[in-house]
Amino acid sequence: MELDLSVVLPTFLDESREGLDELETILLHLEHNNVDHDKLNSIFRIAHTIKGSAGMFGLDEIVNFTHVVENFLDKLREGNTNITAELVELLLACGDHIRLLVQIAETQDPLDDLLVKNGSALISKLSILNGPDEDSNVKKDMVPLPDTDTERIDSEHAKNDNWHISLQLSIDTLRNGMEPLSMLHYLETLGEVISITTLGDAIPQNAEMDPESFYLRFEIIFKTTSDKQTIDDAFEFFKEGSHIAILPPNSKVSDYIALIDSSDDDERIGEILVHAGAITQTELNDALSTQYSLHMTSIEKPLGDILVEQRMSYQPVIDAAIVKQTQIRSDKSRDAASVRVDSAKLDLLINLVGELVIASAGTALNAQTTENTMLIESVSTLTTLVEEVRDSALCLRMIPIGATFTRFKRVVHDMSKELGKDIELIITGADTELDKTVVEKISDPLMHLVRNSIDHGIENIDTRQANGKSATGLIKLNAYHDSGCIIIEVNDDGAGLDKQRILTKAIDKGLVQEGQQLEDSDIYNLIFEPGFSTANEVTNISGRGVGMDVVKRNITELRGAIELDSKPGLGTNFRVRLPLTLAIIDGFLIGVSADTFVIPLDLVIECIELKEMNNSLDTSKDYINLRGEVLPLINLRTLLAIEGGLGKRQNIVVVKYGSNKAGIVVDELMGEFQTVIKPLGDIFHNVRAVSGFTVLGNGDVSLILDIPGLIQGAISNQPHILPITA
Amino acid sequence: MTLSKIETFKENELTLNKTEDDDQFLTFKLSNEMFAIGILNIKEILEYGNLTTVPMMPAFVRGVINLRGAVVPVIDLIARFSSNRSEVTKRTCIVIIEVTTDDDCHVIGVMVDAVSAVLEIPANEIEPPPALGAKIRTDFIHGMGKVDGDFVIILNVDNVLSVDELGMLNQNTESPALER
Amino acid sequence: MLKYEDNKNLISISIINEMNIYSAAELKTLLDKLIDDKRDMEINLDGVSEIDSAGIQLLMLIKQERNNNNLRLSLVQHSNAVLDAFEFLGLVSYFNDPVLLTNRKGDLHGA
Repeated sequence: MELDLSVVLPTFLDESREGLDELETILLHLEHNNVDHDKLNSIFRIAHTIKGSAGMFGLDEIVNFTHVVENFLDKLREGNTNITAELVELLLACGDHIRLLVQIAETQDPLDDLLVKNGSALISKLSILNGPDEDSNVKKDMVPLPDTDTERIDSEHAKNDNWHISLQLSIDTLRNGMEPLSMLHYLETLGEVISITTLGDAIPQNAEMDPESFYLRFEIIFKTTSDKQTIDDAFEFFKEGSHIAILPPNSKVSDYIALIDSSDDDERIGEILVHAGAITQTELNDALSTQYSLHMTSIEKPLGDILVEQRMSYQPVIDAAIVKQTQIRSDKSRDAASVRVDSAKLDLLINLVGELVIASAGTALNAQTTENTMLIESVSTLTTLVEEVRDSALCLRMIPIGATFTRFKRVVHDMSKELGKDIELIITGADTELDKTVVEKISDPLMHLVRNSIDHGIENIDTRQANGKSATGLIKLNAYHDSGCIIIEVNDDGAGLDKQRILTKAIDKGLVQEGQQLEDSDIYNLIFEPGFSTANEVTNISGRGVGMDVVKRNITELRGAIELDSKPGLGTNFRVRLPLTLAIIDGFLIGVSADTFVIPLDLVIECIELKEMNNSLDTSKDYINLRGEVLPLINLRTLLAIEGGLGKRQNIVVVKYGSNKAGIVVDELMGEFQTVIKPLGDIFHNVRAVSGFTVLGNGDVSLILDIPGLIQGAISNQPHILPITA
Repeated sequence: MTLSKIETFKENELTLNKTEDDDQFLTFKLSNEMFAIGILNIKEILEYGNLTTVPMMPAFVRGVINLRGAVVPVIDLIARFSSNRSEVTKRTCIVIIEVTTDDDCHVIGVMVDAVSAVLEIPANEIEPPPALGAKIRTDFIHGMGKVDGDFVIILNVDNVLSVDELGMLNQNTESPALER
Repeated sequence: MLKYEDNKNLISISIINEMNIYSAAELKTLLDKLIDDKRDMEINLDGVSEIDSAGIQLLMLIKQERNNNNLRLSLVQHSNAVLDAFEFLGLVSYFNDPVLLTNRKGDLHGA
């Protein structure tokens, strides 16, 4: 039967990619550190898991290639090969190749020749490094078995060590598109299936039996030299809702005792055994007492052995019973740790919460008009709860930035090799969380900044040494929260930006007039202008025609901002400021004539009535003096060409973004309001004063003002009032 | 919320088979001229109202409305075809249309003076757009449908409401105050 | 999918084509009417081209149901597909029907 695995394929793809990410991290770690046997085991296991899962999906390309890698890693952990930089390089390349193969498994594209060629090139490199004993020299110490899986394990107790596997699969197994038979057949590729016992005890009466539910239980006696993890991996896609017990051979008495003594509410091992008809209660009691007394005299003897010696049972059945008992407990703790959820479901939830927030605002509005105190009170309780729901829903989407940062290790590694530089990447604040959507979208711009620092920031080793710096360049990635925003910094200790060169180039390109007086920071920020690239020669790495302007645009699209600071000879610091979420914010509602607008509350510092100001109602002025500070004004009525007369009084909303402040002149201050951000969409994406829409409680659409854009506009329109002291 | 649905065509879609649907057109008036749109593109028709204007957009982008939580732009067809703007009357409606581009599906509202009827115009009663002499851009015209001896202009919705074009146009009309 | 002959003391059922998750629900509906038949039951598996765990489970259900009611059931003429599955899953002795080895050698049924 054709097995419909398409349901679980995404899981395989995800998990393979996660595995490959981990592989990469470990390899990069190995390069700089002493060989750690645990780490070697981990990467071996990753390769093995990917191979095993790929096998279930019939992804032969992945199986074949990964198999070679796995064997190589196996040798590695036996200590047959030294871990050199070259080797790490090769393994990284292998990881990339597997990633490509996984990619192809997803898109179902045909394999192209280049990829096949790369694959074989990697394989031959592996076998060269692997030394002579891989293919040609089997006679040495290896038993030439056809399936290399079976020669791998460091098994000291070689004899009669059959595994016992007890499978009590989820009742939904069939409905989820899984066919247990295929999985059992897959086991045969890992070793020898000595016997399978199929139990139908759980099949209900005919009337209750659903032919699409799964009721069978399997007890499998299995001979393999694979480790437990490997066997476990075969059941990877069956685990949910299933009880799978894998009982290793030769378990120790202490293990059994621990299991038997463990909690009371789980079915006790003896009962399980007796229930299964493996032994009688009396026989078990005898065996237990024998085994206890042996234990007292410090003789470690497996309970299974005792029972077998007493001809009461045979080992696998007992093993199965024991593991069945333990696995109930271990499943519980594993499930509690985390739940994997389809991100589409999460998005749906967030959207619904958005609607809920709008609806609740509407309800609150209506409740106010009734002047019914009880109603108003209960609606206010409801609103508080909705806010909490909103916050927790948004939390679900928050993920740490760390995974993104870690990916840059590889970039730094590869690029510094390529450029002959020595660079160390230091990551801090990896657990700073932000919205998943933002994380996904910020990855590319950050990548560009990191590449830029490697390529243009950090000098060559010679130059560094000549300038009395350490040969190793430092790139620091840092993330932290700052008043409703996340700040991500990319910092290098390189040469810093060449002010003169930027200026020359800017004049060249007509961005700046000759003789114009500019602050240092203004000059540096010129590199974000379109078409600006200061590299004298276009390198393989950053001269891709994508410049800093694209980085800036991408960040602006996320309602974020980027600024930079540079010191000649000491380095450059890019600071990216991003909103924590793209979905829902606290907004501040303001009115101009009949129109309402929303300002993100995080950006609002204070509100002032305009007539209190000494230069009073003259709104034609571009700025006011706010407690001795020059505050540029943005008059929404003129800026947005809003019709209608002035309101009774004019107010100024003082907003701050980054280090810049401005005052927005409005008629009415309407208070705080939960704002669900609706993106502008393709038609409006060029509108600069507006960053999104939102729906008010009364069902009207309101515009969310693009404060960063407005501030930027106000400042660049009024260079004569610079500098603003922040 | 005062928006009310006058009619939806979703149910009709289910009962009619495809070939019949292809022949069905919604006719409506724009400055006393008859136009038509294939009903397969139409999602629903709303009473005009509760528009929020978006600053610095060309005149034909009348604003946005809240369509059950989604923000939908409303296009003034008269302004799209000429330099005039539609007058809002009691009979003014917003026809909600689904426009599919290569990979995206956009929901856009168009403002019309009055909705007339759903008519069947068989393919052989539809003539190609005239090469010359049409009052509107020829690429906006899908064909000229003959109805009771008169011609109605069947609009090419994908071109009239081309999202690329609608989005491009406002760049030139941006307020100079915001340009850097 | 299923046909049966009524004889005086024996109801003889033949299952044909697939016994898998796709046909299990329909098969069970058909079998529901016959499962409690008081006569001896014989199920001919000669025509089963493919069997998966859903099919196996269904056979086990019938066996169990017949046993519980002290009714007789014998499976006959196992096709190769059925035999392979029974052997792999250790179910030959569970059903305890005589398995015709000639059936396999003859290879009349394709793999």
